[in-house]
Amino acid sequence: MAAFLAAASGRAPLPRLFSRGILALVLGVYTIYQLGPFLWLATMSVRTTAEISADPYAWPSPMHLDQFRTAWVDSDFATYFWNSTMVVVGAVAVLTFIGAAAAHALARYRFRGNRLIYGILFSSIIFPPQITLISLYQILVDYNLYNSLFGLALVYISLQLPLTVYLLEGFFARIPQDLFDAAKMDGYGDLEIFWRIVLPVGMPAIATTLILNFIQLWNEFLFAVVLITDPDKRTLPIGIRAFMGDHFQDIGMIATGVMISVIPVIVVYVFFSEKLIRGMTAGAIK
Amino acid sequence: MPDAISLRTTAKSGEAKASSRATLADPRRATRLVLAIFLGPALLVYCGLTAYPAFRTIYDSFFTIEGMDATFVGLANYRDLMGDETFWVAVRNTFIWSFVAPVIDVATGLLLALALYAGVPFARFLRVAWFTPVLLSYVVVAILWMWIYNYDWGVLNVMLRAVGLGDLASSWLGDPNLALAAVIVTHAWKWAGFNMVVCLAAIHSLPKEVLEASDLDNCGWGAKLRYIIVPMLRPTLLSLYILSFIGKMKVFDLVWIMTQGGPLWATETVSTYVYKRAFNWNTFDLGYPSAIATVWFLVVCAAVIILNRVLGSRERLEY
Repeated sequence: MAAFLAAASGRAPLPRLFSRGILALVLGVYTIYQLGPFLWLATMSVRTTAEISADPYAWPSPMHLDQFRTAWVDSDFATYFWNSTMVVVGAVAVLTFIGAAAAHALARYRFRGNRLIYGILFSSIIFPPQITLISLYQILVDYNLYNSLFGLALVYISLQLPLTVYLLEGFFARIPQDLFDAAKMDGYGDLEIFWRIVLPVGMPAIATTLILNFIQLWNEFLFAVVLITDPDKRTLPIGIRAFMGDHFQDIGMIATGVMISVIPVIVVYVFFSEKLIRGMTAGAIK
Repeated sequence: MPDAISLRTTAKSGEAKASSRATLADPRRATRLVLAIFLGPALLVYCGLTAYPAFRTIYDSFFTIEGMDATFVGLANYRDLMGDETFWVAVRNTFIWSFVAPVIDVATGLLLALALYAGVPFARFLRVAWFTPVLLSYVVVAILWMWIYNYDWGVLNVMLRAVGLGDLASSWLGDPNLALAAVIVTHAWKWAGFNMVVCLAAIHSLPKEVLEASDLDNCGWGAKLRYIIVPMLRPTLLSLYILSFIGKMKVFDLVWIMTQGGPLWATETVSTYVYKRAFNWNTFDLGYPSAIATVWFLVVCAAVIILNRVLGSRERLEY
């Protein structure tokens, strides 16, 4: 028995070390697989197309940071960037506000039809986008909102509304009722309660939905490509695609343009990675 | 008569008083006006920009719509659809994608989460790093992978040639036999981190005692995985499967940018076909694509309901 134990303890470290090594190797390779393409893109964005065709995988030297200036000024990426910014910031601001108000009403008040409204909003999350896409195109044409950033922002609000209400309702429902009872006793009206209690207390959840909505709308492609045709009104995703269609060979400049569209997302991610990951997880399964 | 009126008004004012007292007494009640202020804007947006367009699409599917002229055609669009070979190819591709790819997604997600849970160094960094592709837009992912798949200088072919497997180098997106698989891999690459994060959160919320008990019993990782972790994570894994399934039923952006449904319809999905028929081909008829969208809407809803029933998932879902 003792001999067996000794043999076992003597033998154990080697296979364990071996399996640790394998695990580290697999994870290392996997990390390269997940991050590599993006880093490759980053190197290409500061190299000229001529350099890239000579050797696509060389380290950027010298760094052509002026590519960003060229993309920004000469290739209209500044226009696309500001269009995206306007649409997304406007849509997210309105969306957060009306989504929070609706979520508060659904989470806090008892009234007939509460769960029905919640269910209807919630179930539309699974709708395939085509079911509204074609009609939205017709409707926006009817109301002269086709090919306008305002129209696109309106559509974006409707796209993200169910998710926003769903996430915020879950959070607001967990705010203790005592807080509201106390506020009522102090003579707060219903609107004041929303303004002075729900919004401040719910700030972490609101911030999460804000970031989530920002990233999802910043990346949105399908509705933008259908509802915007004017080159001056393109948002970044369709701008990049249009640029790629016209300059298929200009890989360096495409990479720079792509980088311009990715940088805001990466900046947000660097600062709020935990919040974002938590938000997306909460969105998936409650 | 006047008496009756005065009676009624007094009754009404009495009621009003009672209800105002009720609002004071029960903070869970609110007047209609307050509810309208809170819910009104959201419902307005929902009705105007989601519900109405959805109904209009269904209504439109019984018409041929060319510009301003709509002609009622009854079920003709649906009859044409049944005989439309491209539609069936698109359905087949979308179904392959929707049923197969989620298995890969969930399995990778679970394995990655387990690796992090097992306590590898830099777990925090790895988690953040693996999650990055989730945040990239489809346009970015598509362009990146078009370069990776490039025949002459793409990473994939360069690596194959470097290790002496140059014969295997192919035009990944240009070959009808490979294109769908190539696009599926790209999609899986983008979403692996998401599944990992959800699995990791679920593993962390498992009761510690069970895992510790299994450690005491000298339970190996394989057995632990098979008898403890997977059964206990079942609801999460099923939710992830359905979530991934829904995502694949809708897939558009990636395919549209990488292959536009080609070569030879090899990557055509229902979404790209609707888009083509509505906005890309010069058929100028919005009725027929509306019919496709309506059919697909019903298929997605039915599939989600059936999957929920069959897999017995009690979890609530999203997306």
